[in-house]
Amino acid sequence: MQKHISDHIKLLITFSVLFFFAGCTQINRENEIVIWHNMRPEEKTVLQRQLDEFMQQNPGINVIELYKETEEMRSGYIIAAVGGQGPDLIYGPSDQVGPFAEMEIIKPLDEIFSSDYIYNFNENALIYSDGKLWQLADKLGNHLTLVYNKALVPVPPKTDKELIEIGKRTTLDLNNNGRIDQYGLVWNYTEPYFFIPFLTGFGGWVLDSLNNPTLNTPEMIKALKFIQDLRDKHKIIPSEADYDIADILFKEGKSGMMINGDWSWSSYGNAGIDYGISMLPLMTETGLYARPMVAPKGYSINVNVEDEKLPVVVELMKFLLSPEKQLETSLEVKTFPSRKEVYENPKLLEDEILIHSKKQIDEGIPLPIVTEMRAIWDAMRPSYQAVLGGAITPERAARNMQRDAELKIRELRETYENPVMEVVIQTGMILIVLLLLYIIRKSIVAFLKNLKRDAFAYYLVLPAMLIMLAVIFYPFVYNLIISLSNMSLAHIHDWSIVGFIQYVKVFTEPQFYEVFLKTIIWTLTNITFHVVLGVALALLLNRKLPGTTLFRTLLILPWAVPQYIVALTWRGMFNYEYGSINLILVKYLSLSPVEWLKSPVEAFAAVIITNIWLGFPFMMIIALGALQSIPQELYEAADIDGAKWYHKLKNITIPLIKPVMIPAITLGIVWTFNNLNVIWLVSNAGEPSDKTHILVSYVYKAAFNLYRYGYAAAFSFVIFLILLAFGLLFLRKTKATESVY
Amino acid sequence: MKNKKLLIINIFTYIFLIAFTIIALYPILNVFTISIRPNDRLLSTSLAIIPEGATFKQYIELFTNRPFLLWVWNSTIVSGVVTITGVALASTAGYALSRFKFIGKQVSMVGILTTQMFPATMLLLPMYIMLIKLGLLNSYLGIIIVYSATALPFCVWQMKGYYDTIPFSLEESARIDGCNRLQAFYKIIFPLAAPALVITALFSFMTAWSEYIVAAQILQDTKLYTLPLGLKSFQSNLTTEWGLYAAASLVVSIPVVALFIILSKWLVSGLTLGSVKG
Repeated sequence: MQKHISDHIKLLITFSVLFFFAGCTQINRENEIVIWHNMRPEEKTVLQRQLDEFMQQNPGINVIELYKETEEMRSGYIIAAVGGQGPDLIYGPSDQVGPFAEMEIIKPLDEIFSSDYIYNFNENALIYSDGKLWQLADKLGNHLTLVYNKALVPVPPKTDKELIEIGKRTTLDLNNNGRIDQYGLVWNYTEPYFFIPFLTGFGGWVLDSLNNPTLNTPEMIKALKFIQDLRDKHKIIPSEADYDIADILFKEGKSGMMINGDWSWSSYGNAGIDYGISMLPLMTETGLYARPMVAPKGYSINVNVEDEKLPVVVELMKFLLSPEKQLETSLEVKTFPSRKEVYENPKLLEDEILIHSKKQIDEGIPLPIVTEMRAIWDAMRPSYQAVLGGAITPERAARNMQRDAELKIRELRETYENPVMEVVIQTGMILIVLLLLYIIRKSIVAFLKNLKRDAFAYYLVLPAMLIMLAVIFYPFVYNLIISLSNMSLAHIHDWSIVGFIQYVKVFTEPQFYEVFLKTIIWTLTNITFHVVLGVALALLLNRKLPGTTLFRTLLILPWAVPQYIVALTWRGMFNYEYGSINLILVKYLSLSPVEWLKSPVEAFAAVIITNIWLGFPFMMIIALGALQSIPQELYEAADIDGAKWYHKLKNITIPLIKPVMIPAITLGIVWTFNNLNVIWLVSNAGEPSDKTHILVSYVYKAAFNLYRYGYAAAFSFVIFLILLAFGLLFLRKTKATESVY
Repeated sequence: MKNKKLLIINIFTYIFLIAFTIIALYPILNVFTISIRPNDRLLSTSLAIIPEGATFKQYIELFTNRPFLLWVWNSTIVSGVVTITGVALASTAGYALSRFKFIGKQVSMVGILTTQMFPATMLLLPMYIMLIKLGLLNSYLGIIIVYSATALPFCVWQMKGYYDTIPFSLEESARIDGCNRLQAFYKIIFPLAAPALVITALFSFMTAWSEYIVAAQILQDTKLYTLPLGLKSFQSNLTTEWGLYAAASLVVSIPVVALFIILSKWLVSGLTLGSVKG
């Protein structure tokens, strides 16, 4: 016995060595500056070139740029910076400054840069909050303009009337099949950011000077009606358009006009469209221009940058913000610079795109950088989409938007203090631990008594248990504590224990029960299809007919291909006009097309269908493995007894694959219950109107995104407890924790 | 009569398999279409599988101008170690849970399961803080431990379930023949559990091969990038390099499929248990 245990130790040592080598990749970061940014590929190319130049001028310094998607950069940066790490510079849109400044995870820049230096910038490029400078922008813009296809629209419209008139003229059914092949205007009109120009055109805005929402206004109602009319009355825009659909219609020359931002223009040129840029139209009713939001983009410095390193970081920032570099970038990627010295440069004044871009910037409104904006977007989106889906009237939508925005801002700002609770909870926890120890005292005695007898079993179980415990224990306890705290935007560093108030909030949340019900439907439907399809296919494949090897390999492909791209492909397939699913329904099955992504029930069905497709191969693999454990003789004996196939299935196959399938089904349920990705991708984060959420996606959107960490932790804990209750029940029913023999 | 019935069953088997293969393949064919479309379009108003101006330039770009092979190599190392760890630890732990009675067994079984129940997003911040304190940021060791812990719960349970189907009498006769407990395990039972080991290996491999969120937080050094991180770098707000992304996604699935084909031999051999049992 002794010898074999030492064999095992050798094995463990081998693994430790493997781990060690895999871990030996720590890097020296003293002379290294890391920038996180959300630049698109063309901008990134320019940045990389400029950084190379900087590194050549400053030998010994290594600058690394890392692309991150905007949302992910924001949440990733918060985690890293709160953890005392993160990049030295963070580059992004001005609105990320709001939360970062409040959390005190970036440095105030007015203490670092002289006022003479700052004076050189356009005032819109200096991002202040609470009287301090937090970001220096190198680009003004991110603004929407009208983009037009010169082949279809030789002269762009100046007013909304002209827009509608040209739109009508260019919306055509070219082959007379009753379907429109070319639209006058397309854009991502279901997203509030792309709706703002019309709100401002009617004289509305989103916040007042005290950052209170101003959404329930006559201007809002008029703007909503205007969009509705474009689609239903004037019929110059498609009935369903998200960003990708709008983009593709314009690129394929199937649309005369488009509303899109400066980031997109060059891609239209690359797609072979002879395009022009023009200001968004003047609204005749008000005499105001439709004004887009203008959002500068620029650099902030991580609060964790040490004093010794700071001069180099500042040096780099000044290099990247210099007039020469800005001009170079502007001319190449058509973004607008922030240094005043550059504005008079003849090269800039000659560029047709940049001239029109400048005009639009001058008729734009700066994007408010306050954290409240996030609540505004989240409040606008569902009601706006509900108007477009015909579910509610514009008047009702305006009221709902205002109500939701006020609620969300209150939630964002809400904070609790309860100094007594800290002691209560601590005492409570100690008591619970003591109580637990008391309850299991007999087990501990038995454990020590039988330690020698059971040593072999512990030895086999321990490595796996330790590794799981090591990873999960601390995060779990951390979340338990946070769920009892007031950790939020205002209390990210100095949170304190406030008791069970967050849990009370979870259960009094009116949406909780509705979303919970949807989660159950989602989980049960998915897992039923996964298991039934998986087992059925495995049974057929197990018949070992010629060609099954090929089928087997092809059938696992949905599991093998990365989820992200297939989920988005499915979203495309569900498109009302151009998706292949409706095409099959109409053409081959003579059914009417389904508005998959526009109505709540259908959208939820679409997400479920996608997830069934993604998940059945895995169950099939497990069922295939499980079938191998059944002795062939059993079937032969049954054949002799004249058993029918369903008898064999019921009495032999199912009972015998159960031990292997139960763990997979249990975990499958747990995973599906918490599957955020597919919902997020296919329904575009809960669209339409936040009606396709399950609990995890809901907590992510309604709490995590609003920086309500205490509440989000409590919500997650409730999810955990629901699953735990289910798990215990299910295991008791199936007796899966017991040994068979 | 009997042959005729069998023929009908076979025909239906094929019809069902073919139908499902088409359903399984169609979206992936769409991904292929994106990968050969000339100018980075995720969608198209045309449903043609072979788009106008089809080109393989994205695949060439992937292998020549991008550090794609580096990502493949990094991911192979990480996934390889996670797979070995997963198989080694799950096969032993599962065995103990299936065969022995010991104090704390029920708690361990449920405990393993509970690690999967907490929404992963919420675990990210504390996990990150923990890894900083342990000095495991920007290291494969950190990520391998996290991935192993993620893959193990399923693997352990699944192994336990499979061992449960193997009769205890096999070990008993091995013990009579002079094997000790460990030998009885790895000489007799371990090989018989081949299908379950295959599933464990595939699952561990896939966990590490496709994971993105934890990797994005822990690995900040581009030289350490795994495939999902690399692929993500083709993406950007509203202007993703869809052609490259699609091409890379398809290439990335090839090793998974290859692994499956190689391991299939043990997954469906059918020789193992049937022949000893009964």
